[in-house]
Amino acid sequence: MPDLPTLFCLHALGSSAREYDAVADELAGSFDVVALDLPGFGDAAGATGLSVDDMVASVERAIRRHGSTRWALVGHSMGGKVASLVAARTLAGTAPLFGLAGVVLLAASPPVPEPMDEERRERMLSWVADGPLDDAAAREFVDANVGAPLPPAADLVARDGLRRTSPDAWSAWLTRGSREDRSHDVGVLDLPALIVAGGADGDLGEPAQRELNGRAYPRGTVHVLPGAGHLLPLERPHEVAEAISTFWRERVDLGPVVPADFARVIASGRTPSVMRGTLARRAVADDPDREPRALSAAQLATLRLVADRVVPQDGPAIDLAARVDAQLADGRGDGWRTAGMPTDVEAYRLALDALVGLEALDHDHRDELLRTVAAGSFEAPSARPGAATLSGGELATWFEDCRVDLVRLWLAHPATMERIGFDGFATGGDLTRFEGWLKVGPDEREGWEPSMPPRASTLPAPTEEVSR
Amino acid sequence: MKLTDMRTYDDAEVVDAVVIGTGAGGAPILAELAARGLRVVALEAGENFDPDEYTPDESDAVAINWMEERLSGGGAPTAFGQNNSGMGVGGSMLHWGAYAPRPDARDLKLRSLTGQGVDWPLDPAELTSYVERVERFVGVSGPATYPWDPSRSYAYPPPARNASSRMMVRGCEALGIRATDAPVALVTQDREQEHHGLRHACANAGSCHQGCRNGAKVGTDNTYLPKAVAHGAEIRPRSRVVGIDLDARGRVEAVVYLRDGVERRQRCAQLVLAAGGVETPRLLLHTGVANSSDQVGRNFMVHGATQVWGRFEEEMRGYRGYPSSIITEDFVRPADADFVGGYLIQDLGAMPQTWATTVARGGGLWGRDLVDAMDDYRYMAGVGINAECLPDERNVLTLSDELDDFGVPKATASFTPGPNEEALDRHATAVLQRIVEAAGARSSMVLSRTAHTIGTARMGDDPATSVVDPDGRSHDVPNLWICDNSVFPSAVTANPALTIMALSLRTAERFLAA
Repeated sequence: MPDLPTLFCLHALGSSAREYDAVADELAGSFDVVALDLPGFGDAAGATGLSVDDMVASVERAIRRHGSTRWALVGHSMGGKVASLVAARTLAGTAPLFGLAGVVLLAASPPVPEPMDEERRERMLSWVADGPLDDAAAREFVDANVGAPLPPAADLVARDGLRRTSPDAWSAWLTRGSREDRSHDVGVLDLPALIVAGGADGDLGEPAQRELNGRAYPRGTVHVLPGAGHLLPLERPHEVAEAISTFWRERVDLGPVVPADFARVIASGRTPSVMRGTLARRAVADDPDREPRALSAAQLATLRLVADRVVPQDGPAIDLAARVDAQLADGRGDGWRTAGMPTDVEAYRLALDALVGLEALDHDHRDELLRTVAAGSFEAPSARPGAATLSGGELATWFEDCRVDLVRLWLAHPATMERIGFDGFATGGDLTRFEGWLKVGPDEREGWEPSMPPRASTLPAPTEEVSR
Repeated sequence: MKLTDMRTYDDAEVVDAVVIGTGAGGAPILAELAARGLRVVALEAGENFDPDEYTPDESDAVAINWMEERLSGGGAPTAFGQNNSGMGVGGSMLHWGAYAPRPDARDLKLRSLTGQGVDWPLDPAELTSYVERVERFVGVSGPATYPWDPSRSYAYPPPARNASSRMMVRGCEALGIRATDAPVALVTQDREQEHHGLRHACANAGSCHQGCRNGAKVGTDNTYLPKAVAHGAEIRPRSRVVGIDLDARGRVEAVVYLRDGVERRQRCAQLVLAAGGVETPRLLLHTGVANSSDQVGRNFMVHGATQVWGRFEEEMRGYRGYPSSIITEDFVRPADADFVGGYLIQDLGAMPQTWATTVARGGGLWGRDLVDAMDDYRYMAGVGINAECLPDERNVLTLSDELDDFGVPKATASFTPGPNEEALDRHATAVLQRIVEAAGARSSMVLSRTAHTIGTARMGDDPATSVVDPDGRSHDVPNLWICDNSVFPSAVTANPALTIMALSLRTAERFLAA
């Protein structure tokens, strides 16, 4: 299923890939669901490296082996902490991966030490004192972690997973992994995130999810399944699948998609890790609900209309206006401004206020209006008495800056780089001996390069001249 | 660069010299003074980087640019930021393009030869001797025979000719214009650099302006600064100079700077100001030092840097390889000129955002035209100029009434090209268009831009019309020296870095002889 996005699903303590069987059935046709056995669990019960970092490494190996270039992580309980670490390493570029589009946490263990009753921890550790969990322990664990008894098939999957768990893996998580504070490694993950909580879960219920995982995922949407306990994929496969589908449609699948061969070059050793991280973060979908930070909501709406005319994007669009707003709010200027102009952010505010009413025009009239702005002949409708305004000349100066901001942000996205045939970031890698270009002549391509097919519209143009 | 084991000095210690800035102006003199046993401290506003920290990404590479806001006015407001301003240990040579033509002797005697512009108050042959010393020390690549000066030689063979290089050579050949591999300050073979270590041969990555990641490109951070540190200089990064203390006799006593939010005073016997054509005059205007002539800030110059891009049928993808490897000096004095001075022509391969900025700004494109232009990016190759600019005291850098984060007024630079610049640009644009057409371009696009920041503290014999004397020493303050492109009396056609470094060595000798 090469065209479907992939969900890499990471299970909970004492479980296995099989806990996602029912969820996968629900999502078949929409996603390529790849559930993994973490080291020490399921078919990987014989693994020896059992630390959180070993789990992270095994997940990264599996994603790389799979080859997906558009994927999300789904992490249940223990698997949630692993998912957060893999996501952090992918967005930082330190993992040799590209294409992470979102994270789904199911009753997930947070990056900080997991809240756990110490008596319960001791009791759980006692179950593996003499070997794997027995039937009674498995029964007790399942009963303590569900909101209501599981259907027989799911109950069997749950107890089977527990009995197959390596005792060493069980105690490694309880004594070390769950207690590790990895919040500095995870940091703040600014990407679409769905945080699902069981309404009847204990230590990892809704309050803990909001508080502990919400901190790491500022864009996290918390979705509570009333009455559900801790074993969400087994208890509520239909609701979990539906929540994932909605999340993907409304939060993740919004911007342009980076073609697979281009994504593989970004993930490869040719691309320096710092660059890989930059591109990974830019490829993430914009948050449709993010409040503007420098502009007002109305100004942002107008800027979106301007952006659409200045850099018309074919297909799913990058929210360039929101990215300009973020740039303005962060004070990331270009090092200069025209003398006499107000500050960059003030110029944007005044100009967008002057362009109010743009939404009422059709595309052709919007273009006509922007042409008068570019020519310096636009006269803003009468502003409030005493309110600051930009003259026609100042509006033209602002529009020049605005054009530059928009086109640069458009080009900064890896999908645009692919579109225009730019893979010049893939030099150096992290190698001691730097890889540059061996072929630099016209029409020459190197073997590692992605195809980057030219747009059909780029046929030879008639002779033209654009002067200043 | 490695600064961990360097010698350090106390603020209260009266060091022999403080050098403000670590770029092409500050680094050579710092190294020369240290090598003579002087106790010297360099104050650098920016960070100290390791080349591993550089990214080929155009947006993020602003870490090595001076991105603090400057105001720009006049008929052709100059773009600062990534276009021409550096920051960090190594200054603008962290992001420079490594294009290293020598200053032409005729440019230094423009007034004598043409009656316009000004002469440099120095002997061109003397400057050339310093240029040669710089070239030997840093390692420069170039052609086996340089058509305009067969006497010179370069240490390394030229870098690979990329698609735009081949285009320019083809176009020039068809028109009978001599063009060859340009002198470029990078090494095309591994080089063991004294006091620094191994610099790897250029790997044709093409991201020179984002910071060279393997040491091939000449920076001061892999040449003069390691030499300075080896001889006991201290380089103090993140040190923002905000004031100059004078003693009762009007001599510099200490440099006031902010580090980690704390105001400090480094005492010194001599001060060398090498902060570049914007920050040097800004500091002098802010402190009111060395300006009895009222010349500080005047004669702000920029190089005309108009580009013509051709659209070819092949994929040129000029981001691959060293981006400007060809030169012609045939237009340093064009026979049919209706202007004085001249220009160099080089080929151009630009990174996408840089190109788009010029297209959207100078080219005025937006909408479908802009998107189509970017879809054409892969087919584009260009040629551009670096053109003479005459001093004009109406082109001036002043202080605005806005303060920066450190409480210092922001600079306002005002530049309007004069008739000579305009005539030159018309001539050059026509030549550039002929070259890309002769090379087979199907269409062409003229993009107007300028580069470099020059002048504002000019060197001269007369204290009434210049800021420093021919040695680089302030007419007003005897223990203040200025050592960067702000002392250039005129712009000269050559790109400035090599000349700045040569002048820095010369100023160091004058300093030591004083």
